[in-house]
Amino acid sequence: MKFFICDDTPESFFTAVFYAYSESDCFITSDKEIQLSLGSEIVQVHSDTEKCERVRRGLYRYDNGAENDILKALRSCNNRKEQICFMYIKRLLEFKKSVRNAFNLSEVVELNNILYQITEETHRFTGFLRFKENANGTLYAPYSPDNDITGLLMPHFAARLNAPFVIHDVKRKIAGLYNGSTWIITCVGDAEICPSDSERAFESLWKKYYKAVNIKERPHEKQMKSSMPVRYWKFLPEKND
Amino acid sequence: MIDAEKLEILTESAKYDVSCSSSGSKRVNRAGGLGNASVSGICHSFTPDGRCISLLKILMSNDCIYDCEYCPNRRSAEVRRATITPTEICELVIGFYKRNYIEGLFLSSAVFGTPDRTMELLIKTVEMLRHEYRFNGYIHLKGIPHADDLLIMKAARLVDRMSFNVELPSEKSLKLLAPQKTKQSLLLPMKSLQNAMLYDKENKVRRRDAVIPAGQTTQLIVGASPETDGQILKLTEALYRNMGLRRVYYSSYIPVVQSSLLPTVGAGLLREHRLYQADWLIRFYGFDVNEILDESENLSMEYDPKCAWALRNMHLFPIEVNTAPLATLLRVPGIGAKSAYRIIEARKYGKIDFENLAKMRVVLKRARHFITCKGKFYGTENSQQVKNCLLLEGKNEVNEQLSMFSEKSVALSALTGEV
Repeated sequence: MKFFICDDTPESFFTAVFYAYSESDCFITSDKEIQLSLGSEIVQVHSDTEKCERVRRGLYRYDNGAENDILKALRSCNNRKEQICFMYIKRLLEFKKSVRNAFNLSEVVELNNILYQITEETHRFTGFLRFKENANGTLYAPYSPDNDITGLLMPHFAARLNAPFVIHDVKRKIAGLYNGSTWIITCVGDAEICPSDSERAFESLWKKYYKAVNIKERPHEKQMKSSMPVRYWKFLPEKND
Repeated sequence: MIDAEKLEILTESAKYDVSCSSSGSKRVNRAGGLGNASVSGICHSFTPDGRCISLLKILMSNDCIYDCEYCPNRRSAEVRRATITPTEICELVIGFYKRNYIEGLFLSSAVFGTPDRTMELLIKTVEMLRHEYRFNGYIHLKGIPHADDLLIMKAARLVDRMSFNVELPSEKSLKLLAPQKTKQSLLLPMKSLQNAMLYDKENKVRRRDAVIPAGQTTQLIVGASPETDGQILKLTEALYRNMGLRRVYYSSYIPVVQSSLLPTVGAGLLREHRLYQADWLIRFYGFDVNEILDESENLSMEYDPKCAWALRNMHLFPIEVNTAPLATLLRVPGIGAKSAYRIIEARKYGKIDFENLAKMRVVLKRARHFITCKGKFYGTENSQQVKNCLLLEGKNEVNEQLSMFSEKSVALSALTGEV
């Protein structure tokens, strides 16, 4: 079996697809710690713009939304994500038409599942992200999502906030920066913040509100935890009293 | 800035209102403004009672001139009273919104002074938010019964959603428990809002100028008065069909108020849950109330309403998943709106077999008794045994209110309308 090892850029993945497509038995991954079976062959993939473009054009020919889906799926924390995307691409090229809704194919179901996880987590963080206001008016939100979704959250907040803001993925050490008109993603280490004067007051009002709005007569902690998983609580002020 | 104690009093007074959704509006942000509305709605936090916090739900005042029996803020109750100013509300909303604590404002008020006076102050607050603070986020405004129609219309142009709470499912109960509210004082403004929405639609009024883009909702208290589920659902259906409401919320009665006219025990969450299930069947599954239950009946506690319907109509099953039309698929217990759609789509690529269904998130434990795949039947034929199977399965069911987004699967089902 051939193992194609790519880095975590989409270009590298599409190049790997180009090479792997003609193989009968292969596996694409960016996972550095993958367990190899006996007799497996390793191929290091280096991004090749031309080959990458050919794959992209091929996808576009049969389904103009497929590339977007794949790019989104590559943000997943699933360590089989490259292989799942590859299997999906193979099916698409086999049918020569969109297989987006072919839910009787296991490859399609698998891709849909990881897309669902990413969409779901992005949607959750449009609600669970918490900004702190700095003395200079900049808003800063640290968080630690399962999937790499910072790039998906930025447009949402850029459309609604009228101040510069930073969304900091502390696990991946990357941040989305918005200056009031455009946004970028960049690598960052630790952030230092100096809260504005009203920051503490609003935070304590929020905690007060959170306590007061609860109806004690009908407790349902299990439901709370399934809608708002405990792993997300670290950055929620109302859950750190 | 607002006093913490006032915030506490006015939040506790507002919390029994169930509605907290922020969906249905596509309001966009304008240059220099703050906020927009997300059409699917966004939950920002969840409280230990399992309910979501999406909007800042607060009363402007809890100092009420009315004396409704069921209400903790009624005139004769001895509770702490507080009133806040429009500026205090605006500052709080803006401060919370930019920290992403909330999705918008749910503003309501006890009636102080006169209904018109109260409505005027609510409008002043909303106007201030929209114009001075340039806030374009979601606003849900509670209508005040008996307020002037012109005021209601003025408010409707500024907010995303309005609601008048029917509260009690029959005129008789309304007379007994909330004598100052009349059926007319609730239904007339609803009707004029509906007409205004229709007018805007017909005349293609620009979206940002249109009245209540997210429509109107209402709330019914379940278990405070003797109405059956059948009567409640009949009313619900009429509200959807004749008033064009977006949602009817059910609030299971909690005895927080001592009164000889009210029961001393709560209605329980299961009844509320069943009503929501039936409500979904009416809105998304093409069911008529008459098919679900008779006016004098209550919903079965053992089975969900769709199962109960299917068990009464065993002669219509099993159906073949590879050929059945959408409307028939939607009536199979265990197949929800989303999986019915998936089945229809997947059929274009080939025949569906039993294993495929599980991957499409069909609940086979239930569905297998009612379907065939490629002509093969996987369930139990004996209808008594089917009943037992479904009954056992129902025992493990979590009893909760669908609207409050619960277990992941239930949360999903609430979004997609699966039952």
